[in-house]
Parts: sequence; C-alpha cells; structure tokens
Amino acid sequence: MMKEDNFGTKEAVSLATLAIITKVFYTSPFVIVNSLGTAAWYGTLVSCIVSLLVFLLLYQLMKRFPGDDLQAVFMKVLGKVLGRIVTVLFSVYLLYYAGMNLREFLEIIKAYILPYTPPSYIMITFLSVVALFAFLGLEVLARFSYLGLWIVLITMGLLLTFGSTYYNANYIKPYLGYGIDKTIIYGVLRSAAYQEFILLAFIMGSLQGLKNFKRAGIGSILLSGGVISISLLLYLMMFQYTVGSENLSGLFQISRSIYLSRFFQRVEAIFLFIWVISSVVTVAIAFYISISIYCKALNIGDHRPLILPFSFLTFLVAFFPKNLTETVEFHMLFIRQYSSFVVYGIPVLVLVLSLILGRKRVESRNEKV
Amino acid sequence: MVMILKKSKNGFWTLLSLITYKKKDKPEEFYIPEVNEGESRQVSQEKNNDKSTPSTNEKQNTQKDNKGLKKPIPVSELKKEKTESGVKKDENCISCSIDENIDFINRMFNAPVNKDIVVREFNIAGHYKAFITYLSGMADKITISNFILKPLLAKKSVEDAEEDCKLDYILKNVIETHQAKKITSPNEVIYEILNGNTCIYADGCNFYISAETVGFDKRGVDKPQTEGIVSGSQEGFNETLRTNITLVRKIIRNNNLVTEFLTVGERNKNLCSILYIKGLANPAVVQEVKRRINGIKTDFMLGDGMMEQFIEDNTFSIVPTILSTERPDRTASHIMEGRVAILVDGAPFAKIVPVTSHSLFHTPEETYLRWQYGTFIRLIRFLAVALAALLPGLYIGLVGYHREMIPTDLMIAIVKAKENVPFPTLLEILLMEVSFELIREAGIRIPGIIGNTIGIIGALILGQAAVQANIVSPVLIIIIAVTGLGSFAIPNYNLAFGVRIVRFLFILAAAALGYYGITLAFIAIAALILSMKSFGVPFVSHLGPQVRQSHDAILRWPVWKQEYRPDPVNPLDVRRQPKISRKWTAKDPKTGIDRERNNDDEGR
Amino acid sequence: MKRYKVFCLLLILLCWMLAGCSPDLVEIDEEVYALVLGADISANNKIKITLQYPSYKGSGGGGSGSKSSGGGGGGSREEIGVYEGNIITTVEASSILEGINLLNTAVSRQISLTHCKLLVFSEELAKQGVEDYLAPMMRYRDMRRIMHVIVCKGKAESFIKENINTIGESESKAIELMATQSLNNGLFPRMTFIDFYRNMLSPYEQPLTAYAGINDFSKLSSGDEETASPLKIPEGYLPSEVPRKGAARRELAGTAIFNGPKMIGVLDSFETRCMLIIKNQFKRGIVTIEDRKAPGKVIPLDVRLGRKPVIKGYFENGVPIIDVRVNIEADLGAIQSRVNYERLSLVEALNGQIKEFFEAGLRQTIDKTQRLNCDVFGFGEYIAGNFSTIQELEAYNWKKHYKDAKVNVTVEANVRRTGLMFGSKPLKSSQ
Repeated sequence: MMKEDNFGTKEAVSLATLAIITKVFYTSPFVIVNSLGTAAWYGTLVSCIVSLLVFLLLYQLMKRFPGDDLQAVFMKVLGKVLGRIVTVLFSVYLLYYAGMNLREFLEIIKAYILPYTPPSYIMITFLSVVALFAFLGLEVLARFSYLGLWIVLITMGLLLTFGSTYYNANYIKPYLGYGIDKTIIYGVLRSAAYQEFILLAFIMGSLQGLKNFKRAGIGSILLSGGVISISLLLYLMMFQYTVGSENLSGLFQISRSIYLSRFFQRVEAIFLFIWVISSVVTVAIAFYISISIYCKALNIGDHRPLILPFSFLTFLVAFFPKNLTETVEFHMLFIRQYSSFVVYGIPVLVLVLSLILGRKRVESRNEKV
Repeated sequence: MVMILKKSKNGFWTLLSLITYKKKDKPEEFYIPEVNEGESRQVSQEKNNDKSTPSTNEKQNTQKDNKGLKKPIPVSELKKEKTESGVKKDENCISCSIDENIDFINRMFNAPVNKDIVVREFNIAGHYKAFITYLSGMADKITISNFILKPLLAKKSVEDAEEDCKLDYILKNVIETHQAKKITSPNEVIYEILNGNTCIYADGCNFYISAETVGFDKRGVDKPQTEGIVSGSQEGFNETLRTNITLVRKIIRNNNLVTEFLTVGERNKNLCSILYIKGLANPAVVQEVKRRINGIKTDFMLGDGMMEQFIEDNTFSIVPTILSTERPDRTASHIMEGRVAILVDGAPFAKIVPVTSHSLFHTPEETYLRWQYGTFIRLIRFLAVALAALLPGLYIGLVGYHREMIPTDLMIAIVKAKENVPFPTLLEILLMEVSFELIREAGIRIPGIIGNTIGIIGALILGQAAVQANIVSPVLIIIIAVTGLGSFAIPNYNLAFGVRIVRFLFILAAAALGYYGITLAFIAIAALILSMKSFGVPFVSHLGPQVRQSHDAILRWPVWKQEYRPDPVNPLDVRRQPKISRKWTAKDPKTGIDRERNNDDEGR
Repeated sequence: MKRYKVFCLLLILLCWMLAGCSPDLVEIDEEVYALVLGADISANNKIKITLQYPSYKGSGGGGSGSKSSGGGGGGSREEIGVYEGNIITTVEASSILEGINLLNTAVSRQISLTHCKLLVFSEELAKQGVEDYLAPMMRYRDMRRIMHVIVCKGKAESFIKENINTIGESESKAIELMATQSLNNGLFPRMTFIDFYRNMLSPYEQPLTAYAGINDFSKLSSGDEETASPLKIPEGYLPSEVPRKGAARRELAGTAIFNGPKMIGVLDSFETRCMLIIKNQFKRGIVTIEDRKAPGKVIPLDVRLGRKPVIKGYFENGVPIIDVRVNIEADLGAIQSRVNYERLSLVEALNGQIKEFFEAGLRQTIDKTQRLNCDVFGFGEYIAGNFSTIQELEAYNWKKHYKDAKVNVTVEANVRRTGLMFGSKPLKSSQ
C-alpha cells in the first residue's frame, strides 16, 4: 500500500475545518439566507448538531474496527465486491465534489476578480497546485492546512472586524426567520454542508488512533459550526436578510464594502488569498482522498500515476455545468443539501449492517489467525 | 514523430514510455527515530557497517550512487579506478627496504618532476640508514631541523637501542615533536605527507613514523565577513580546520565534544570534521551525516559549499536545508542544541544539520540581546523576507489587476507620472530588477573600497536618470529600493539568494493572474517547503506535530523560559535548564549569603 | 531525458499561455477613472449620465495646476468639458453601462468606474423613482457600493460642473472630505450606496440621501440693511439657500427622503440633525439656542450624544408605540449675555432649556416624517422584535403603518463642561 504519513489532531482538525468552512466564502450564505432569512445563523447550528450525531454514529462504526480506514470497514462489512463498489462510489463522489468546488471557485473568481480570463486558464493553474499537493502527499497537505487555517481564520477575523462599521444587531429580527419548523427541517436537510468530516474516516490510518479521530471529528465540526454561524450572523447584521439573499458571495461582498478611511477601502483584493487558500485545500483533500481510496479499492500500489488522469477528470467535471445558474441551483444544491443521503446514509447503513451481522475487527483477526 | 517511428522499433517504446508511468524504486528515506526507538535501527545500521570493511565500503557506496543517479561512468574514471586498485594490490604493506621505500615515495609524488617533495637521506646516529620526507611549504622547516633531524643525527641517540628496528625506539625516545605516530599503510603515509607532516623511515622497518610538522601560511582569526553583529563576539572562522575547531572548543568546554575526521575527495583528499556532543546529539543524525559524507565519491572537494551540495536532501529546493555560518559562537550554540556541525578544511564556514526553517532567520545578535529587542528584530526580518519576495509582485498585481485598491489620489499621481513612459509595468519592473541585480553583483566584484560607493551611486544615478528619461515611473524606484533593502536584511546569505529568485517567480505569477496567481505561487512554494526535510527533520517543523513548544522559534521568549532544546532535532537530553532556572528568584535575598554555599552544587 | 522532454513541452505550453498574460491585465494608464457619476432625466433615451474624471495633464503630486498646460483658451476648453483638471462628459443611452461604452467613441481610454466615489441623482429623477439606476450598480463589478449618494436640486450635470475643488488639486480627496463633513456638523447625512440600497429593500426603514444644490450666492444680504434682523432659531436650511458667498457653488444641506425608490420629501439641515440624533449618527455639531434670561442673545452649544438613543417599539391595542429616549451632552460654546449658567442653580435650568429645544425639534421632525409616512429613523427595527417570523413582519408592512405609530420622545440633556471659562464677569463701561 502507499505510504501515508502520520500527523496530529491539530492537523486533522484544521484539514476538516478548512474543508467545511470553505463554503461560507462562496454561494452558500445567500442560499441559506434565502431559505432561512434571519434564522440562518442558528439554522446552520442545527445542521452542525445533526452532523455531530452522524459523526458519533460513524465513530461507533469505526470503533468496531479499530485502526481500519472507512474503505477497509466497507470491505469487511459488505464483503469484498460490494465494499469495493461502495468505495469506488465514494471516490467518484469525491471527484465530483472536487470538480464542483473548483467550478464554484471559478465562478466567484470570474465574477469578482478576473472577468475576462479564460476559465480553463484559471482552472489549469489551480489544478496544477492541487496536483502538486496530491503528489507531495497527505502529510504536506495536512501541515499546509494547519498553516492555512490560521491564515484563513485570522484574515476572516480581520475581514469581519473591518466590516463592523456596518453592523446593526437589529437586522436579525424577527428572530425566528421563516418559522422554527422551517429552520429545523432545512437545517437537518442542509447538514450535508458539514459532510467533510467523513474524509477523516478515510484517512484513519494517518490519525494515530480512534481517540484522535474522535477529537478531530468533534473539534472540526464544532469549530466550523462556530465559524460559519458567526460569519452568517455578521453577514445578516450587515446586509439584512433582504440584500443578503442577493449577493453572490456573501463574505466577498463584505470585503468589497469595507470602508475604514479614505485610503483603506476597496481592499477586497488582499482578502482574495483566503478564498484561494481555502479552496485549494478543500479541492486538494477531496481530490487526494478520491485517488487514494480508488487505489485502495482496486489494490493499486502507488497513487501518483493516477494524479494526471484524475486531474483531467476533475477538469472535465468542472465543465459539466453550463452556467452559474446550473452550478448553484443544481450541483451545489445536490452537494450541500441532498448528498447527505449518500454520504451520511451509507456509513449509517453499514453500521446497522455490522450490528446485525455482528461483524467486528476481533472476528477478522481470528479468521486471519 | 514520424521520424522517431521510422528510426526503429525502439521509437515506439520511447513514445509509449512518455505517456506511461514506471514506478521508481525509492530508497528508504532517512528519518530520526525517537530516542528509545533509535536503538534497534542503530544496531541494524551498525551491522551494515560491519559487513563492509573500510576498503569495500567505498565501492559499495559508489555502486549505490551509480544506481541512484544513473550517471554513465566516463572511460577516464574507469581507467583511474583500475590503476588505483592496481597500486593498492602491490603496496598494501610497507616494504622493509629503504630503497624500495624511497622509490615508492618518489613514484607516488612523481619526484623528479614534482619539485615539492623532499626526501632527505641520512644515517641515524651515524649508523642506520634512514630518510625523512615531507612536502616543502606544507611543513615547518624549523621544526624539522630542530626537533627531528638534530636529535636523530646526534651520535648517542640510538646507542642503547637493542631492537632490530630502531624506529620504535626513536618514536619513544628521540623525536621531539608533540605528535608522532606509527604508520603502517602506504596510503596513510602519502596522506600524512600531503597534510604537511614529516614521515621518517629507517632501514629494516615495515612502518613509518609521522611527526607533526604542519606549518604553512594561514590567515589569522578575523571578523566575520557576512554575519557581522553589533553586540557579541566578533570572531569568525578562517580557512584552517584546526583553528576553526579550536574556536568552537573554546566556547564549548566540554569533554564530550567530539571531533571526528573524515576525508573527502579522491584526489585532493580534503579533511572534513564533524563536531557534536556525545550524549546530546542524536546518534542517528551523527550516523547519517557520516554515512552521507562517506558516501561522497568525488574527485575534488573544495570546501563546505561543495560539501553542502553533495549531502543536502533537496537538490532542487530554492531554500537551503543546511545552515551555513562563519561564526564560532553560532556553531557552538547549535551544537549545544544537539545538532551536528560539519567543518571542511579550506573554507571559513561551518555547516549545521539538521536545521529548521526558522534557524535561517536567526542571528546570534538576538541571543546576546534582551528578548524584547531580539523579538523585534526577528519580526523585522520576517517582514524583510516578505517584502523582498513579494513586493514587486504585489505591485504588479496591484496596478495590473486590482487598481481599485490604490488610493485614488495616489493612483492618479502614478498615472500622471507614467503618462510618458512607454513600457508596460512588467517590463519596467523587470528592467529595474535586472539593473539592481547588476549593481549588486558588480558591487561585490569591483575591487576594494570603490565597491560600496559604486553600488550606492549607481543605484541613485540610474534610478534618477531612468525616471527623468521616462523609462520607469518614480513609484517603481521606491518599490525596487525597498525590495533591495528587504533582501539585504535577510540574515542568511543562501536564503537571500532563494528569495531573490522567488521574487521573479512572484513577478511572473502576478503578471499572469494578479493576486490569484501570487496566492497560487505562494501555496505551491509553501507546499514544497513544507515537504522538505533536513536530515530527517521536517524543514518547517513548528507547523508539524510537536511535543514541546519551542520558545525560540519565531518569537524569542525570555531566556529563562527556553527550558527545552528544539523538539524536532530529537536530542538525547531535551531539557536545557530546569523549570526554575533562576534559582535566586525563589530565595530571600537577605539570607542568601548564608545559603550560598549549600546551593552551589545545584546551580546550573 | 524523457522527463526533460515533457518538462520542455509543458514549459512551451505555459509560455504560450502566458504570452498575452491574462486579458484582465490592464495597464494602469490605459484607463480613466470616473470619480462622479450623475444621473438625469433624459429626453432622447432612457437615461442620461454625466461622468467626471481627472485629466492626466500636469505632473503628478505637486506643481502647478493643469490649467496652464491645457493649451487653448479657457472658454473653448469648457465646451469640451475640461474644468480645472477635470473632464466632464455627458451621454444619453439606453443603460448606464452602454452609455459608458458609448462615451468611449470619443474618450481615448477605457472608462473605469472602480474609483467612482459619488453618485448624484437629480431631484426630478429621484421623484420619478431611481430603480432603473440601481440595477447595474448592485450587479456590475466595477461599481462600488461604498460610493456616496446624493440627490441634487436641479440637474445633476450642472451640479457636477460646479463640483470643483477650490482648495487642493485632488478632486477625489475633495469629494471624500466633503462627505465626511457630515461627521463634523451633522447638517446632512452621509449615505453610502450600500445603505441606500439596503434600506430600499428593507422592511425596517426607508432610504434617504444627502440633499445638495447649487448656491448662486443670492441669499446673502447685500449689507445695506439698517437694522439687524431678529434672531432666527433653529436654523434650518435647504441647499442653495444657505446665505453665504465664496468657495464652491455646490453645497450639501438637509436630507432627501425616499419612499421605496421614489423621493417624497426633504428635511432641512436642522431636521437632519434631529434625525441623525435618533439614528445615532450625529457625532457632533454646534447648535445655537436662545438665552432665556436675555432674549435676543444666544448660547452656542457643542452638542453630542451622551449615549446611544434608547428606542423601544411595542404594540398597545394594535397601535405601534415607539419610545425614544435621547441623551444629549453639550459643552458651552459661548454665553453672550454673560449670565453665569455654570452655577449649580442655573445649569439645571439650562439643561431643561436644551431638553425642551431638542424635544421640540425631534417632535417636529418625527411629525414631518409621519405626515409623509416615511420611517427614515429605522423604528421598524424595534417593531420587528414584536414579530416572530419574517412572514408576519412582511404581512404587517411597517412602512405602511408608520403614520399610525405613536412616537414618544424624551430628551435628557446635560451641560457637561463649560469651555475654558467658569463664570463670566460683566463688561464694564461708562454707562
């Protein structure tokens, strides 16, 4: 098998957190505000809690097979054939996820920064950095994400602080948004927005034990829940729910609106780099794990030869949507809202199956012996 | 393509091999095991070493190297190997006849042609045939005549001796130099002579005596040229290995400071030494350093700069992974942190391994300063690196893509100034960058005192004239000047080189895609640097998993807070000082006089 | 060697890609940066816009003005829109964006709106509704949402022609500093486009802008009058009515208030101050009140808000009630009558007087807006707390019910400091 280096809880938390909070930079805020109105900021906490529950279920599953990756668990519970199919399914989904995130990034960059640059030009340069990460391996990615998370969080803090001249706490009234029932239903549905914690289960081998896995999972979900909630709250306090549901990228609009003095205004360009960093890390980790579990499922020894073909595939996937509308209204809606049936459903099903079949790591050990 | 296909059947395979992938065998990467874990590994490595006797060791290494590098062996080298091994076979031991030995020395040093070798024949105490040999110029003639020749020629010197071979007696009783030893291998004899020692041979013996007579002209201990500081020691290394080691030993007065000597360079047999503290430096690192240095098979080793290129981990990396310093105090402080210093004869620099990225930003200055000042100058340095690498790129991105960010008044001023400049900003900045690099390079080459003057005047006049001639806009001069200042403020000379090159990368990235391009370039460079290792230690280690927080990485904490040695180096003793290192803070100053004696043994 | 071949191939590819750089790379001097965008009612087409941008003549930074380097005579220069280093162009088109394209038939450089700092609507246009102009400003990436918005009396075009910097050289600095004068006097609001637009969509409050006009200096008395005019307090002015002379002709005073996209009324400069007090945007300003102990004499006060106004909104029997409690702090600027108001016995009376003065002013302002049914204060924000969901809030429609609201105003006033004097002795003369 390929060599996957180890890293600590901090790196794992930042890897998952960065992947989760990336969506707050893009179309996600306006979609949520559009649906939940003034309740958006705690609606996302509902999603956060649901995801936390799913994570605990996943943890129960992983606990039954200590030290195994999720794909190894699939193989052990579902059998070799079905396990492989499910793993490849996940691989394909992650590739799609990477491609769509790339596309969303492209749309925002083209809308705000580089309107006339050819899309392929932006995407190829982006993908070459992603491929570099895949080539250098998970450890470098994890360590970079640790650095990146600090940069992103600090810069985000600055960004939101600079925007404070506009904040008005009254804009989050009425407190219940479009109704508490709607908030909860949508929150549960939207729990797929926190799905990236599932990636941790695929890199169990690098996490040095279940305890770290649990800490990393819970830590990243809570941290990103907090970050997303705070940024949505401040976004609402700046734009109300009315204009808030019009902006293509909520946070970017805040950065465009910063006006501190005559010389410190229109500074969105210096905030651009957190958009790029978070997107690169998100796409890179989805991309890497997609290749990695594909290799593991098909017993391919080295993942590096697959980087070029997979980059090409990601490039193709990113060109699926015809336009921005299709990206947002179909693909992103699927990934952020309905993909939970796939991403959360399968591990939960596997857990149920393993409970019914009574399969555990211990058994398999006995078999081997 | 058709051509290639036509050429041969091989063409097809060449073409195919371009798009297929072949897995390469990768030798196991070196890493530093944890202190407990290390033992098993060490044992296995030692086994390897045992298998290969010193003579075969080199051969094995060459085979490995050849495999790794896939370098074709030129015919000349093959020949050389043959002849050398031929010599070895014949002369593995020293002949007992004096004529053969003289012949041997003459042959090895091409004596009639080569005028440097001196072979002086004489009779010891008027009875026994003997000769001494040395390289003129390398050896000190006064020492030879006073302490070797004089005693040997004295009539009664060996009268009491009863052995067959008088040399043993001579070694013990007659030679008056400080160091003298027996040498039994002909290769060693040659080596000793090359080092400036004098070899003595007497008829009938199968060994030589080498007496220390090294004496050649050398530079005295001077101020460091590139690492000057305001407060602190002003000593720098010079070109003599022995002096350099002494300079370090002068600071670390510890019996466990070990100096190991290795020779590198097939032809010039340069001496190189490894300094570390036994019981502090991780043995795996020492082992690895020795393995790498022994593994160098090269013709000529000029100094530490070449050595660095032979033993570094990442040849293609833009930043150095080995720290180079010409300061004995800095070397000493690194050795005390559990690192290994490599000194090569003939270069006034020490190489220190393993290092982490932040070491490149440190100077001894802040060690001598109070921590507030130390932290401040370090932050300035980080700013300097950021400016030197990014500023021109940021400027290009700013005026090319993100013009909205420039304050309007300033922007209109820039535009007005640029109104008559025909060139695009990219060209302007490249023009200025190139001329600045030119001035810099010329400033070093111009002899003597003019150098500095030319640099300043050149920059000023060139900048002013370029603006007046409408070739560049005036803002650009500021940008370039600040960038230049930034790159001069980088304490590490090698890192400064890297930053200068990276700057051009950022300029191109900014021209291509604005800040998006800069960010991508930044991410790529960061990823590459994060993936680098220096002798098994992740180069950017304070971002990695860490057990103990370092208090001397980016910021410098008060010196009593720096309780631990750097974690990534994995020293055998991690604690530098106890939790309370300032014992006096816990005591009552009034009664301190009485207690002082009792606490003496606790004091550290 | 294979690797090098591939590498070279990639390098060539890269060079080919980089050859033209990105189409987004524009040299800084290939654009002109419009500073002011004015909108008027158009006779020929849908819209009529006026742009003001700096000319690049003359040296950057210091040096003489660009006028001297202009070449031809002043009169003919003004015909082509060159005014003191600025160029002003007007175009009629179907949309703003196309209008800018159309201007490039004559302007030799790409017109960029990234540095546009001021948006001027003419009053007629604002009264008809500005919705058509909002669309591109929110959507188009060049447009800045942080530009200031004003409505001007008369035509925007003529306002921009008078928008000349009389002090320094930099037009952009003049525009920004003009807008920030609001912080020093509170005579007109400082409204950025983002707030203007948001309030238009908002269920909580109505939009407003600063109100501007051109002063022809005719209001100023000629100086021939025999007797002094009686005291006029409070001083409320509308633009082009300020009795002054000199400096630029354009002036900002008072507020234009909107109902949705349509302008429905104005507040004069005093009412604007009252409004800003309630909105907590009044930083400081000199307010003059009459001295009760010596009628005809005045006491100028340096007024600021003591703390954020406390506003409560609730329903009583279906009637929305708004309680506003304002805390005003003042420093004495002068006491013409030389009455010792600093004394403990008198300072309370002065406080009471200030309180009454401001209560009356706030009352007057609120009544005026209620007559117009236009909640520019943002009382809706406090009413919104009484609704639990957005549906209920929107069904109620606060903007419609504002006129029915009962607004209670209480002011607490405090003279905190007395300037550099503590008491004044009477002036002595022979009489």
